[in-house]
Formats: sequence, C-alpha cells, structure tokens
Amino acid sequence: MSFSTVLSASIQGLKVEFVHVEADVSNGLPAFHMVGYLSSEVKEAAERVRTAIRNSGLDYPARKTVINLSPATMRKRGAAFDLPIAVSILISLGELPQESTEGMLLIGELGLDGSVQKVPGILPIVLEARSAGIRSCIVPKDNAAEGALAEGMSVVGVKNLEEVFCYLAGQLHLEAQPYPERGGGSKKEELPDYSDIQGQESVKRAVEVAVAGGHNLLLVGPPGSGKSMAAKRIPGILPPLTMEESMEITKIYSIMGLVENEAPLIRQRPFRSVHHTATRAALIGGGLMPVPGEISLAHGGVLFLDELPEFQKSVLEVLRQPLEEHRIRISRSHGSYIFPANFMLVSAMNPCPCGCYPDIERCTCTPGQIQHYLGKISQPFLDRIDICAEAPKVKYESLKNRKKQESSAEIRERVCRAREIQNRRYVGTTITSNALLEVKELDTYCRLGRQESKLMEQAYSALRLTARTYHKILKVSRTIADLEGSEKIEEKHIKEAIGYRTMDKKYWGR
Amino acid sequence: MMYEYWLAAIPKLSDKKKMLLRKKIGTGKDIFYIEETKLMTHEFLNRDDVNTIMQAQKSRNLEEDFQELRRKNIRFLPHFSEEFPKKLLEIPSPPYALYVKGNLPPEDRKAIAIVGARKCTPYGEKYALEYGEKLAQCGISIISGLARGIDGIGQRGALMGKGKTFSVLGCGVDICYPKENRGLYADILEQGGGVLSEFLPGTPPVPQNFPRRNRIISGLSDVVLVMEAREKSGSLITADMALEQGKDIYALPGPVNSSLSQGCNQLIRQGAGILITPEILLEELGICGFPDTVKIDKNKKVLETTENMVYSRLDLYPRNVSSLIEETALSANEVVEVLVSLELKGYVREVSKNYYIKLK
Repeated sequence: MSFSTVLSASIQGLKVEFVHVEADVSNGLPAFHMVGYLSSEVKEAAERVRTAIRNSGLDYPARKTVINLSPATMRKRGAAFDLPIAVSILISLGELPQESTEGMLLIGELGLDGSVQKVPGILPIVLEARSAGIRSCIVPKDNAAEGALAEGMSVVGVKNLEEVFCYLAGQLHLEAQPYPERGGGSKKEELPDYSDIQGQESVKRAVEVAVAGGHNLLLVGPPGSGKSMAAKRIPGILPPLTMEESMEITKIYSIMGLVENEAPLIRQRPFRSVHHTATRAALIGGGLMPVPGEISLAHGGVLFLDELPEFQKSVLEVLRQPLEEHRIRISRSHGSYIFPANFMLVSAMNPCPCGCYPDIERCTCTPGQIQHYLGKISQPFLDRIDICAEAPKVKYESLKNRKKQESSAEIRERVCRAREIQNRRYVGTTITSNALLEVKELDTYCRLGRQESKLMEQAYSALRLTARTYHKILKVSRTIADLEGSEKIEEKHIKEAIGYRTMDKKYWGR
Repeated sequence: MMYEYWLAAIPKLSDKKKMLLRKKIGTGKDIFYIEETKLMTHEFLNRDDVNTIMQAQKSRNLEEDFQELRRKNIRFLPHFSEEFPKKLLEIPSPPYALYVKGNLPPEDRKAIAIVGARKCTPYGEKYALEYGEKLAQCGISIISGLARGIDGIGQRGALMGKGKTFSVLGCGVDICYPKENRGLYADILEQGGGVLSEFLPGTPPVPQNFPRRNRIISGLSDVVLVMEAREKSGSLITADMALEQGKDIYALPGPVNSSLSQGCNQLIRQGAGILITPEILLEELGICGFPDTVKIDKNKKVLETTENMVYSRLDLYPRNVSSLIEETALSANEVVEVLVSLELKGYVREVSKNYYIKLK
C-alpha cells in the first residue's frame, strides 16, 4: 500500500480544526515533499520524522515520499503533526495496516530519538474529537492526564514512536489514561490571607463588595498603603469555579501550553498580574495567527493592573471593548478570532506622581503634574470601573497594635453566599454576576421602592451624577443588598454604593 | 498711535529707557524717523540700545501688526494715554503700556486683590470664594491673576456675586494661562470685567514674567487679601510689592501647623490685617451695606447620632474614611453610608476619593 491517511488536528485561535495527514510513498528519485500551506516549523518535521523513524529501529527506504496536510488552504503551525506524519508514512510503507488508525486521532511532537514530546492544545482537541464521534486519541504521555479530562474518550499517552508502532500493530497493550480524580487533585497553593492586613477596613470592604458582584475595582492610595497587598489577596476570597467554568479556562490554558500534567484541571480562578510594560498584543492577544492574551487568561478570574497610569495609554484603551463585551474579537485578513475575556478588572494607582496627594503638606507635585498624571486614564476607561476605593497611608498604631483581623475564609463565605443568591436570581439567563447586568435588565433586577427612588433622584442632582454612574450605583447596591441577603435594595445599600462611585474626571485632583 | 505701539513693542529696551526717549525726543513717530547720529547724542542709550532701535526702524509690517491688535479686540494703552489707570502711575516702575481685553477697573470704585497659593486646601478655597462673592456684591472690583487655586477661585466667586473682576496676566492677553481656566477667562469678559497685561500679545507665560505682573495686581488694588500662602511664595511677593506701594494687606489666619497658612500667619505677625468675616473687612474699609445678609442658625441642625459622630470629626482639612472608621468604631459600610447621607444633605463634600470635608 502506498497511500495512507491519518487524522490529526490543529488549533486556530480557540477553535479546533481537523487535519488529515496524507502520505504517499512511491518509486522514483529519493525525495521528501511536504505540501499543505505549512509554516516552517511544520516543514522541519521532515527531518525529525525521518530521523525518528530510523532511530526507533524501523526501516526507512530511499523512495519518493509526499506528505499533504489537508485542508490545504488552512495555514498550519506547530510541531504537533510529527507523530501523525510518522504514522502515515509507516502505513504507506506497509509497516502498519490502514485500519489500525481508524476512528483514532494522533498528535505529538517527535524528538530525533523517537521520543514523543508534549504539545499545547490537547484538551480542546480531544473534546472536539469526542463530539465528532472519534473513539480514541493518541497523545504524548506528558499530556495524557490533560486529555483524559474529556470523559468517555479513550486517551492513550505514549512515550516514544516505538511504543506507538507496537501499540498500533497490536503487539503491545496500553491502558487508556484514567479520568483524573477531581482534576488530578489540584495542588493546594498557600494563598496569602486578608488577616495579614491590619486596619484598612474601608479597602477590605470595597474589595469584598467588588468580588461579591464581579465589579471592576480601582484602588487609589499612596505608595506602601497596601493596595497591591489587598489586590493579591483577592484569589483567596473568590468563589469556587463550576466544572463548566473550569473546563473553559483549562481549554484556554491548554492552548497556551500552561497546563500542568500533574494537576491538569484548573480549579482556582486565575489571577493575572500584568506589568505595566505590557504591549497591546500581550494584553488582548494577537499575532499573525492570533493567540489569546492576558485578558483571556484572566477569563473567569481577575486581571490585576498595578500602577495603572504607567501603562501606555493605547494599551489601556484597547481594554475598553472587552470590558464591555466580555470577549475580544481579533480580526486578521484571513478571518477573525473570538477569545473569551470575562474577567474582573482590579487596578491600583497612586493619586499623584509623588503619591502623597491629597496630603498637601507632603505632596510635592504641582497641580499641573497631578492633572497630567490622572489624565493618563481616560474618562471612558474610568466609566467601566464600578467601584473606587482609597487606601490611606498606614498609621503607626495599626502597625503596632496587632489586632486579630478577619480571615479570607470568613470573607469568602459571605462572597459565596452573595454569589449563590445571584446564581439563583439569574438562572436561565447568560448573566453570572451583578456586574454583567445590562441597562435594560436593571429595571427587572434592581427595582427600587418609592423612598429609594427618591434618594437616587436626590443623589443624581446633588452629586451631579452621569447616567452611567447612576447605573453603576444601582448594580453595586444590588450586590451590597445580596451580601446582606436582602431581596430589596434599601436606602443604606444605595448610600454605601454611592460612596464607592468613581470620581468624575473633572473633580479629580481638585 | 501706530508709532507708539512700535516703540512699546521694541524688545530688549527697558520701560525706563523708553519713557526717557519719549521725554527727550518726542512722540513715537519722531523716534521712528530719528537718525542714528542723533540718537547717539543721548547718554542714557548705550551702543546696543541704539542698534536695537535702528534695527526696529527697519520693521516693514508695522501697520499690519497694529491692525492685528484691533482685530483681536485688544486695546493698546501707553502710560501717557487718558485711559491708562492712574493708580499704576503712582507705583515705582510703572509699566510703559498695557494691553487690555474688555474693560479696566473703574477708577471710582474700590478695588481689592485676592491672591494666594495655586495648590490650596479646601479651607483656602472656601474663603477665597466667599470673599470674592461678598465683596463683588458690594460693587468692589476683584483683581487677581487668573492662576490655578486661590486666584481663579476668588475671581469665580466675584462672578458668582454678579460683580466685575479683572485678571492681570503674566503672558499676552490673547493667551489663557492656565488653559483649564478658559471658561473663567470667557466669563470674566462676558460679565464686563477685563483681562490686562503689560506684555505684548502672543508673549508666552514664562516664569520671570509673573513677579512683574504681581506688582500690577497690587498696583491696581487698594487692598490686597492673601488667602493662603506658603512661607516662600509668589503671593508673598505680591504682598511685599503692595507694601512698597503703600497698600493695605489683609491675611486669612490659618492653623499654625498648616504649611499653606504659614505665609499668612507670618504676614499677620508683621502687622497685616486679619480677615475674620467679609462684613468686618467692609466695615474697616468704610464700605457698608450688604444687599442681603442671610444669617444661618448654626445650631439648628437635625442630625442622627451616628451622623453627628462622623460630622463632628470633620473640618475643612480633608479627613480619610479609614481614620473615621477607627475613631468612631463604626463599621466600614456604616461610615460610608453616613458620609453619603451627609453629602446628600449638603453638610460634607468628597474632595478627593474617600477624603471628606465639612461644608457648613
């Protein structure tokens, strides 16, 4: 038999595309041709595959070999086609029967010694294969646990090409990878705790409300006031992930090759802290063949931007659309890619370049400098932040008097209760938290009594609120009411929410 | 007048020499056509000055430049013109000429300058606004420098009091500096006030211009009020110049530990008048009669206990929410809630995120 075909797959954005790896070995001048719109790392497979076959104790005769990766119009990247190419050649050479790979998907990179190396994107590929009716997958041993997360699929992890050959030839029996217990018993990481922070009650409360409703948060304060400290403790109070969310997040991490084989399933909400030198592509994703960026890696969790005004303005502005739509569409001439980006934005900044404002006694900045500093953050960006809190300078007394502080576990319990209330309320809708409420839904879910309406009306004119701020206050007061377990939004909830509003730009620095 | 403008616009020639030239030679036209040899006979001019004048004589588009001023609605007033403010002729080193947009302070009315720090506290802001408003209500012209902080706020107060206010700039009158006071600049002109400067239109706001413009601020006024000033600041330069010019100085007393009140307290120690209320000031100046004196009964506040607990801890210097939480032993959400209800009732104001001051 000279012609053969083997099924494999590749990742395009977040989508999985099946690829048929075809091989034809015929008489003629010895040559190795590869076609099918391949990037250079795929073309280099030629050398790896030939050497790996030879080094696995198999014979590779000098004949004319043609490899085609179909569909031929789709750009193919990565080294994951090595294994299917090798197997299809072996079939063409008559070493293996064509039927041996029927209903089977193969994927893996080959080393020159024939070893099978791990590759990114296993989980989404295996899941897609399952829904396409494929019965089994052969994947690198180091990715096997990840692949096994797709229940009901027989995933076989292999160490080297020889093993694959023997398995397909029926000479060797390999057990399918068992389903990892609770995602492989995800490592319990030691998370920092809120009980480490003395005082700063107002900041802790603001963080609690923000997490309970999934609201975007901005912390303002002088250097060393514990803004970053408060932000870094957020993972400890985030509500647990559902299985569905876990799988969705793990899929993204799998594509980026960030899944650990010992504990493949991501069971903790991601917390992505981004340095202010980040580029636009790093943040939202990009590249000729777009890959997800930090905002997609923060999907379902928290994106933390410290020193907000230090970010390039253009980088912050690209966040506006994903903050609104909770996903990002990246368009290229050959098509557009959609990545999920439903994250909670937590940001921190100093109130002025020296950090001491509004303490005029110590602040050495000119009014112009302060304006310039705050001006780096645009009003439309601020509009997307629901809660703003100030972290004041830490007093000596609070450093000295170490009182027992509330632990993260206690806060988390309240957050989870509030989230449960929200889940029950929004059952059957796409909304998962109060922060995601659209303006038209506010009437349904944030209905106010007569007294409360009057209060809002009064606040609207007295505090010169904008329509956007008004809606944000409604959403936040909904969350505060949920934290208290109150179905009705009361006056005190609204008042507290008003206290968390972001200052309008024109009042900044004045 | 075109030639007078030419003379005033010669750069690198001091006002003093220009005045001497005019006294010794005659009108601007005479100087425009004078020969080099004749100029050389005047001792007060050195070689460079003569060269400067000869260079300036070659200027071609004199007429155009002068028309440009008209087009921009800028009046050119040399010191010998009828309209030139008499008060300015009495000060040491008066400006050679003024460029004016809008009006000049009326000579028959009292004029008071309100000056102070650019970066000020809500305390200074409050009183600058109050004095600006109340004094303007009595028909007093408010003179200031359109700067950030006290200056601009004092002038804003004057506009609120439906009065006239005049800005003396450290740049050309066609330039609004700082830019964020554009609204104020327009409102001043609209309400019959004026913007004036001794610098040529188009002059950029360079730092060395500001002490010079301060002498005009004090020169145009009868009384100078210093609202908030650090120990070494531009406001104190104005006060020094006012002293030199023989004007009265009043200062707003402040806490001894506030660096922004140190300049004021220092002035008071040196014998400046103390600002207690606008009414007392007016009485001392011999101007009386407020159009309407509204007295607020300060004891008639109906506040709840928790509100009182928080309110009584606030003053005009911003307090942070966290420190209030510590002092009152209320929970974080309670304090925020109470502050918002106080804000809605108009008792407090959030000046920066989570920093509050008392209003009434």
